Amino acid sequence: MALLELRNIETYYGPIMAIRGVSLKVAQSDIVTILGANGAGKTTVLKTISAAMEAQKGSVTFEGVDITGLDPDRVARLGIGHVPEGREVFPFLSVDENLRMGAYTRSDADIGADLDLVYDYFPALAEDPSLAAGFLSGGQQQMLAIGRALMLRPRLMLLDEPSLGLSPILTHEIAGIVKRLNEEQSVTMLLVEQNAKMALDLGDYGYVMENGRIVMEDTCERLKNATDIREFYLGLKDQGVRGKRRWKQRKRWR
Amino acid sequence: MAVNDSQDSATAIDGCESLPALFRKRVADLGPKVAIREKDFGIWNEYSWADYGEHARLAGLGLKALGLERRDVCSIASEVNKEWVFADLGVICTGGITNGVYPTDAPNQVEYLINDSGTRFYFAEDEEQLDKVLEVRERTPTLEKIIIFDMEGLRSLDDPMCLSFDALQDLGREYAETHPEVWDGEIDKARPGDLMILTYTSGTTGPPKGAMISQANMLFMMATVQRCYGVYDTDEQLGFLPLAHVAGRMFYTFTPIESGCVVNLVENLETINHDQQEVSPTVHFAVPRVWEKQFSTVQIKLKEGTALGRAAYGLAMAVGERRAAALKEQRRVPLHLAAAFVVAEALVLKNIRRLLGIDKCRWLSTAAAPIAPDLIDWYWALGKPMYELYGQTECTGIATANLATDFRIGSVGKSAEGVEVALAEHDEIVIRSPGVIQGYWNKPERTADTIRQGWLHTGDVGRIDDDGFVYLIDRMKDIIITAGGKNITPSEIENQLKFSPYITDAVVVGDRRAYLTCLVMIDDENVMKFAQDNDVPFTNYTSLCHTREVEDLIWGEIETVNARFARVETIKRFRLIDQLLDPEDDELTPTQKLKRKVVNEKYADLIEDMYRAP
Repeated sequence: MALLELRNIETYYGPIMAIRGVSLKVAQSDIVTILGANGAGKTTVLKTISAAMEAQKGSVTFEGVDITGLDPDRVARLGIGHVPEGREVFPFLSVDENLRMGAYTRSDADIGADLDLVYDYFPALAEDPSLAAGFLSGGQQQMLAIGRALMLRPRLMLLDEPSLGLSPILTHEIAGIVKRLNEEQSVTMLLVEQNAKMALDLGDYGYVMENGRIVMEDTCERLKNATDIREFYLGLKDQGVRGKRRWKQRKRWR
Repeated sequence: MAVNDSQDSATAIDGCESLPALFRKRVADLGPKVAIREKDFGIWNEYSWADYGEHARLAGLGLKALGLERRDVCSIASEVNKEWVFADLGVICTGGITNGVYPTDAPNQVEYLINDSGTRFYFAEDEEQLDKVLEVRERTPTLEKIIIFDMEGLRSLDDPMCLSFDALQDLGREYAETHPEVWDGEIDKARPGDLMILTYTSGTTGPPKGAMISQANMLFMMATVQRCYGVYDTDEQLGFLPLAHVAGRMFYTFTPIESGCVVNLVENLETINHDQQEVSPTVHFAVPRVWEKQFSTVQIKLKEGTALGRAAYGLAMAVGERRAAALKEQRRVPLHLAAAFVVAEALVLKNIRRLLGIDKCRWLSTAAAPIAPDLIDWYWALGKPMYELYGQTECTGIATANLATDFRIGSVGKSAEGVEVALAEHDEIVIRSPGVIQGYWNKPERTADTIRQGWLHTGDVGRIDDDGFVYLIDRMKDIIITAGGKNITPSEIENQLKFSPYITDAVVVGDRRAYLTCLVMIDDENVMKFAQDNDVPFTNYTSLCHTREVEDLIWGEIETVNARFARVETIKRFRLIDQLLDPEDDELTPTQKLKRKVVNEKYADLIEDMYRAP
């Protein structure tokens, strides 16, 4: 049984249908990635899962339980941690406070241990836990956002463009941490990325979205070699007879 | 326009017996009147007859400067655009022969076409089309120059074989200064018997063959279109069909030269619907695929609409159907019905017609593939008469046509004036007319097979009723003879299937088999909508095709069609083609029809599977 399953989700922004019948599965312990251009509906899918947005139609099943229509806090308590696009840390709270906010719904005694764990994964955050989060660099804020979600002890983490606005080195570092969290803490990941190379290197399985629909799905290994992915997402097109081809093939999703 | 022709002398239009002469006359007479509009980044740019004439002249003389001789072949690979038309007329007026290449053709097809036609000059639309020809030019010895319409991304291109369309016209301008007499001289040399265009027809057996269309063939056809439909200089057309096809060429290049009407060229293939709404053409020819798509657009909008909207549509169409029934039988429409129709039209039907961009059309016409009779009825009920016509590339277009004054629904009309249509052995339709082509380029045996004693053997089986109306049955080679010895015409069943908004195309199989089966290509938009509405989970096209619900949906559509046929003609099993096809795939023609032969070969396993014991 898949950890998370979406069946035929339709989500609207006012009259606009942003997601038009999306079905997907995330298997336990996998890193699953969703690729797609701007406006394809990737973020909306994540928001629908974490109940930040309401689906007009379809169902979301988590660990075999239908969680469609639950309030966002209930979804979070079930163990779904959302790392939003653009990080969204609380700028006037300190690093430490930000992390504790992640454990807001918890009342167990392990919070302190988990805090140490986060500082372990992100030594940069441990440098000055009392610093207001607004003063952190983009990369540190991203670490903080991931750390905050980690404080929930999530079974599933929704990562929305963790590489946004980060330097290649930092992107690489974040990718490494995502991988380690997945392996060491057995956190299942649903990763939305514009950085297709990073996502496909990291992921086990991938979906490609376009105009609110899934147009392609496969293992990341096979996606990396699909012609359309190579040409449209990885920029690895055949340079053609003149050695500088600009035009693009029509997308056929095979 | 004055038309004069008879069996023994060539057609003359306004005193001109050749297309170049007629074109020169139109340019001189119509001068500042708009000839062509082309949409570019959302703006309709206008080109007058004078502009048209000038661009064609410069292009033609540019080719002369490069060494074009009479009867040299020039190929054009481009979507429909003004440069296509300018280059075409430039070539024709200077005595060359134009050959259209579909922009979707693959490099190996391009190679074949260049070599088979002996192309010296090749017009490529853009970078993409250029790359295809560059890929094969090592193996195309006759090719000398490549002329590119759109230089975007090619500014740094430095290749002695290539030049831009602008550069070609600059050459033409220089050439005109030193050779002021050449343009008129070449136009005067044109004779009715001169070969003017090559149109390659997809060979179902063997490679494509170039149909040789002469000046006289085309002038006859231009006169035929005028006689059948009446096209005036006030008419507006929408240019969207490929110009490499004889119908596109006829309607967008030659009919305007005959009639002086305006052609509005779409921005690109994705903007057709929008462009059609803006232009709202007054005369409109399209292929069945396009009419089917428009119909299903409306069906989908209805499903998304309100209950009130659907009820209003139902009532309005009922009125429209009853009125159309009277019109189709050429009876007078009863007064109450006429009055009801005025209301239905004002409240509902007019809006639908506006949405589709057919509101101003005097007539709609369809050909090039079989069409479901229900679809024709639907357009009639909307208040627009649709006439089916029949013809082939090999007779330069029209052979028979339904006319506003003389039509019978279900037939393809009576033979056009000057065309003789008869039935030969096995009820094959044969045609004799001044439009019958000179033959196939460099293929005398194929020509001798097809044109015998002046009669064009069409390969279509049909019948002719007592009043002379022609009815098509099917392609001769497509007729299925079941293991039980029953003759079945697959296209009749396929047309009914295609009428379903969920089915784009179908191929019925069953030759020498115990029962009929079919392969179905679904309409992805509509079926995805269905899946969404009915909570059917799917991810991509393939998984959509494999869902139980979609299979049941299509089976339901097939059963509806089955109910209309005799038992032996019913489909017993079917399979879905689970990959989204596009025109670059072998299975589809440029007009998005499934190719029976290719489908039969490529999906042989699926077909065999349908004949295995369950």
